[in-house]
Amino acid sequence: MNVWRIAIKELKWFRDPKMLVFLLATPILLMLILGTALSGAFQGSAAVGDIRVLYGASDGAAGARFEQWLGESSSVEGIVFEKSEKEEDAAVQDVKNGLYTGYVALESGGVTYYGSSRSVMENGIVQGMLTSFAERFKLETAIPDAAQAEGSAAGAGIVKETSLQGPKRPGAMDYFAIAVTTMCIMYGAASAGQLIDMERIRNTASRLLASPVTKAEIFAGKIIGTLLLNAITIAIVVLISRYMYGANWGSNWGAVAIVLMSQITFALSLGLGISYLVKGKAAGIIIMTIIQLAALFGGSYWQIEDNGDFVSKLSGYSPITWTNEALLGVIYGGGEGLMPASVAVLLNMGLSVVMLAAAAWIMRRRVGL
Amino acid sequence: MNVLELKELTKKFGDFAAVDRLSLTVKEGEIFGLLGANGAGKSTTINMIASLLPSTKGEIELMGRIIAKNAKFAKTNIGLVPQELAIYEEMTAYENVHFFAGLYGLRGSLLKSRAEEALAFTGLQDKKRSYPRDFSGGMKRRLNIACAIAHRPKLIIMDEPTVGIDPQSRRYILNSVRKLNEMGSTIIYTSHYMEEVEELCTRIAIIDHGKTIAEGTKEQLKSIITDRKTVGISVRSTEGLQIDKLLEIAGVREVELDEERRTVTIASDAEVNNLNRMIQQLLEDGMEIRAVDERQPNLETVFLTLTGRSLRDS
Ligand SMILES: Nc1ncnc2c1ncn2[C@@H]1O[C@H](COP(=O)(O)OP(=O)(O)O)[C@@H](O)[C@H]1O
Ligand SMILES: [Mg+2]
Repeated sequence: MNVWRIAIKELKWFRDPKMLVFLLATPILLMLILGTALSGAFQGSAAVGDIRVLYGASDGAAGARFEQWLGESSSVEGIVFEKSEKEEDAAVQDVKNGLYTGYVALESGGVTYYGSSRSVMENGIVQGMLTSFAERFKLETAIPDAAQAEGSAAGAGIVKETSLQGPKRPGAMDYFAIAVTTMCIMYGAASAGQLIDMERIRNTASRLLASPVTKAEIFAGKIIGTLLLNAITIAIVVLISRYMYGANWGSNWGAVAIVLMSQITFALSLGLGISYLVKGKAAGIIIMTIIQLAALFGGSYWQIEDNGDFVSKLSGYSPITWTNEALLGVIYGGGEGLMPASVAVLLNMGLSVVMLAAAAWIMRRRVGL
Repeated sequence: MNVLELKELTKKFGDFAAVDRLSLTVKEGEIFGLLGANGAGKSTTINMIASLLPSTKGEIELMGRIIAKNAKFAKTNIGLVPQELAIYEEMTAYENVHFFAGLYGLRGSLLKSRAEEALAFTGLQDKKRSYPRDFSGGMKRRLNIACAIAHRPKLIIMDEPTVGIDPQSRRYILNSVRKLNEMGSTIIYTSHYMEEVEELCTRIAIIDHGKTIAEGTKEQLKSIITDRKTVGISVRSTEGLQIDKLLEIAGVREVELDEERRTVTIASDAEVNNLNRMIQQLLEDGMEIRAVDERQPNLETVFLTLTGRSLRDS
């Protein structure tokens, strides 16, 4: 009951107009700016080279057939097929390293596709094209499961997409609706870092602790209240981007909500955890640095190509990246996107548990909050 | 009945004892004054009573129960008015009181009526829908009190509740302290202002360097120093006055110089007839004497005599 009382109190922040502007107007504006200013990069020729797929033929005839088909069929914008000069193993290794989105092995009887687990959505497109090719020549297609090619998470089974266009790709607004939302969630770590400090600075910490409420209740109440506050804010941001800008959030609202909620929890735990682990002003600086780096390498301002360079290697460590990819997977990858998304959710929640446990442990041993 | 009993209470910060084997007893129905200069250890003592700070040694008993072992009981029966304002600016006055009183287990209509009552009590009923950021310092102080009394605690502890406020708010606070007391709360009142403590409190403890150096009613405290007298001398200018010369005079204990009001206050043994020596010395220093008065001991002189410093300067 006391937990609830304290949680509800946190929501009163909502009435602060400055806070509302910061919480709502910033993401809405950012989406508009990034989504329209950068839309060219998503639809025009600049997108060519976004997806690079290797192919290799163990059978000369199969290779020729494929090249003939590539020449004939209208291509999908942004996808480039390159002939591999390497052995199949070496080519698959390049895919694992993120240099290419996938590797197509052409044999006399069929086609095998090794997709990189980093790009669920791109694989959907490539698979769609391959299916089209295979149907034309009545070939077998095979997508090896993870056991065969570690790092491949394209999933077992048959290629579902048959249209040459492949599944829908995100436009600029679709992408930045996601990227800006997850960046805003990440910024929640900054206010979470001040969550307990605010009570200390205003001395209300003394009053709370002088009342017959346990530290655990105060802690839980503030966390639940803030989660609720952030969830409501983010829900509003998502709905505005969906209905005002027409951004695509897919149809699996439940999965989208779970992924977003896991990141909201992660951001809060990160901020709170660091504010306990690091003393004084340094905590705020560290939190802000983490947020900025996460946004920079997480594709919050431009989409980061998975081409194995320095930025894209670091990109994998940004919580924004793994959350964005989870969302893109859920929205564009259909059923196949759910597995990698749940890994991201587990990662977010696992890190949250670690940070919260550390904060709770330090708080218990400390005088005051 | 003893509402509160401190037994050899000690709090050390490192090697420094902020509260040093402090003992005192507060009886039911009292307005108990804690008097002490800045840094004497008043807030530290209060924070230990309110379970905000663990003690290093000693015991605190609230209504016969050791608070360290009955934290919930103790917290429920205490209302703390912290020295620093402790209110939420983004919540209205009513919401502040409602929120804090709710933490003490009040619910529903009882909670509402008690919150209203506390606001009326501190004269904020007209402002209950306003936000504290629009309040004057005095109004914030009153809200700070309202937040601590809505649950009708047995013991109300006020840590310097009148610091830096207008006379009207101060009057309001002093009156509400009295009313709260009449309604059955025992009160511990800390203040810098001697007049307040002298006017309000039924019993007083003087604290210095973390120790109780005197405890009793006003009369009892004053009787400690009936063997003292205080002479106040006004001069046209204090320039050239030699304090050490005054201190050499037989019987003189303390000399205090107030340059702004141009007065010299001299505490001396009562039985020594040394007024003429004081006047003579001042004239030798070139002072132009305007008025001389011999004062009865008041709490100020008690404090000065016992601690060797004035409360006002600290
Ligand atoms: N947390 C702390 N750490 C170290 N010293 C402290 C702490 N709190 C108070 N003190 C010291 O203890 C002494 C008593 O402080 P306090 O109880 O606030 O005095 P008062 O309320 O009578 O002005 C002061 O010298 C103060 O500097
Ligand atoms: Mg104090």
